[in-house]
Amino acid sequence: MSRLAQSAFVPAVRREARPAGSDSPDEICPVCKSSRYLNPNLRFLVNPECYHKMCASCVDRIFSHGPAQCPIAGCTRTLRKPRFREQTFEDLKVEREVDIRRKVAAVFNRREDEFEDTRAYNDYLNDVEDITFNLINGIDLEDTERKFADYERAHADEIKENAELESQEQSSYRVLQKKEREQIRLRREAARREEEEDKRLVEENRREQLRRLAAGQDASVVEKDGQQVQLKRRMDRRAAEERQRQLHARDAPPTPVTNGATPFIKGLKQRKGKEAEPPVDAFDGIRYKHQYYSLQDDYTYSFLDNAKKDARILAGGYNVHEYNERALADAFAGLGVFIADEVTERAKLSHDIEVPTEMAATEAQDVKMEDPV
Amino acid sequence: MGLVSPALDVPPEAERPNKRAKLEPLTEDTSQDTSRAVSPAPGGARHLDLAERLDAEERAKYVKGAKLGSGQYADVYSAHLKTDPSQLVAIKKIKVGAEFEQWGVSLDSIREIKFLQELDHPNIIKLYSVFSTKNQNLNLVLEQLPQGDLLKLIQDTADISYTPADIKAWMLMLSRAVHFCHVNHILHRDIKPNNLLIAANGEIKLADFGLARYMADPYEPMTYNTITIWYRPPEMFFQSKFYSGKVDVWSCGAVFAELIARDVMFRAIPDTEINMINLICEKVGTPTEDNWPGVSKLPTYTVPSPPTPLKSADHWRAMFPSVGPTGVDLLMKMLSLDPRKRLSAQEVLEHDYWTAEPRPSRLEDLPRKGGGLEAMGEELTKMGGELPGNGKPTASRGRADGVARKLDFAAMAK
Repeated sequence: MSRLAQSAFVPAVRREARPAGSDSPDEICPVCKSSRYLNPNLRFLVNPECYHKMCASCVDRIFSHGPAQCPIAGCTRTLRKPRFREQTFEDLKVEREVDIRRKVAAVFNRREDEFEDTRAYNDYLNDVEDITFNLINGIDLEDTERKFADYERAHADEIKENAELESQEQSSYRVLQKKEREQIRLRREAARREEEEDKRLVEENRREQLRRLAAGQDASVVEKDGQQVQLKRRMDRRAAEERQRQLHARDAPPTPVTNGATPFIKGLKQRKGKEAEPPVDAFDGIRYKHQYYSLQDDYTYSFLDNAKKDARILAGGYNVHEYNERALADAFAGLGVFIADEVTERAKLSHDIEVPTEMAATEAQDVKMEDPV
Repeated sequence: MGLVSPALDVPPEAERPNKRAKLEPLTEDTSQDTSRAVSPAPGGARHLDLAERLDAEERAKYVKGAKLGSGQYADVYSAHLKTDPSQLVAIKKIKVGAEFEQWGVSLDSIREIKFLQELDHPNIIKLYSVFSTKNQNLNLVLEQLPQGDLLKLIQDTADISYTPADIKAWMLMLSRAVHFCHVNHILHRDIKPNNLLIAANGEIKLADFGLARYMADPYEPMTYNTITIWYRPPEMFFQSKFYSGKVDVWSCGAVFAELIARDVMFRAIPDTEINMINLICEKVGTPTEDNWPGVSKLPTYTVPSPPTPLKSADHWRAMFPSVGPTGVDLLMKMLSLDPRKRLSAQEVLEHDYWTAEPRPSRLEDLPRKGGGLEAMGEELTKMGGELPGNGKPTASRGRADGVARKLDFAAMAK
């Protein structure tokens, strides 16, 4: 973009209150110098190739016969007519940035639900922003362009898929919105009808009462009857409504599901894995078993007789069985120990000290001869 | 010289002028012995025996760092391995107190070393090594547990909230630790929230084996004057000298209730045995011959009259609604008056509560308090059996003030 041309935009930029493509009377086409003052129908167009502004008639004149060089002095870009359009933003820098962002977003269109955690998603967004920023500000342009093209090539399928998904979502969103609007309209209609009906019935009832009064019936009876009639009608209507609703609930399809998720609420990818955690094992996988003996419920040993009977010992919770268990464990305690193993174990232990993290709960059991099984 | 025992190979007095000062109470003989044993080898002139050499080697493995806490009983330092500074440990240096004169090394530290060096379980504090320094101070090299203790989490009602799943995870770790002690025939005898330290990864570690002992032989009396009073089971208040692992299960039950209610279940004030019995009668029910056959034969069976009937399951459920019916069932059975009806540590782990919903929280999801290194230091300096002071430094209490600490030898001799 030539500096000269850019400076020409400055006055336009300054009038911020004006809508885009403003029709200020003193605006002049830089090519043919015709101004809005002379030609109120003057339309300005830009080409996203170089963003130089010129009037529609110049575009017609210069580019109707095929591609040609930009007529602005110093600009060597070749422009084509079909790409000329009206600018959306008054500031052409913004116009250009939006175009680039749109282009990048069309390629880097991965969705949040493709990522398993926020960190990864944010990293991706950051990378995309880096590329966008470089393209906008012309930093490392060649390198960035190459990266961009590489990505586009490598992920062509996914890009297409995601683009389709996006458009699908948008269309289903539109459909949903339309449906909602329709429903609101119907509800309003129904409410209005109901109100009319109500009014009509009240009126009818009143007329009926008047008729009966005119026929010379007792006023209080007539009034009471009228009230009852009205009440009954109201009840009937309510019952009918209830029935209607039930019918409706049965017929209505279960809440519409649009391919898995609602189009409004998006989130990270549903984490798979981890499904069905193993059941809780209170013993943490460690079972204490006696390797060399099996414990009996009772041992005949006169020494223990008193301990089994004496209420003063029993009431405190002392348990001879525990003693038997311990006595046997102690008796067999040396059996599982081999000096050679001990030595290697010790070597390992001293090594373990270097890494004092959680150690497996094994050594202490060896001493007691209760091996985890 | 070849036949002279190294013990007699004492260098001249002048070589160690400053070693004597702190050992006043000792007799001349022992002080010579000890000071010789601990002075580091100065340039190889000294002759070290094997024990001293091993000790020096062990000591040289660690580099002592900042002091984390100091108390009546011990000082705690942060330390790391010389070979790998990233491996942190805590060194608990037992102070040489008045009792040193009378009993030698303090009984608590002997118990602690004796049991911790045998027990190796993820939920029990790990003792890596023991060595002595100057003046025969005992140094215990322990796992460093930087997340404080469970009591701090329970008491911090303002900042910490936890779920029934968290309670289940903590109780499961505690139950595993207790079960592991019991299958190795060790009674812990001081289970309470401030002895449950929290590791960096959120694991609960049972600490303070200062009151632990092996399960007794038949007819061998054990002291009933142990376990911090609020967590002590009823049989001990009736001075039963013969008990089993069920005493620890009661303490676990009390911890369980405290975790749920965030308040001590049996908080007797003032903390006397009589008040505790009354409180247990009131909250669980009065122990009688009906619900606890033989209880009246226990040495000091006295209960307030009229007796309170045992509380119904509905009452318990109303008091502890958050853990659900299975949790309440477990709690009731852990706090059953009759130790024979109380669940054993094994039965606790076999209970349905652990497998019922909700699943115990994963370690990384457990609430943390953080900044607990000092807390660990503070906790380790305490004696066993002390009630948690309300932030009051333990130094203000006399060594013998903790009722549980008084060893009643007269009663044991009976």
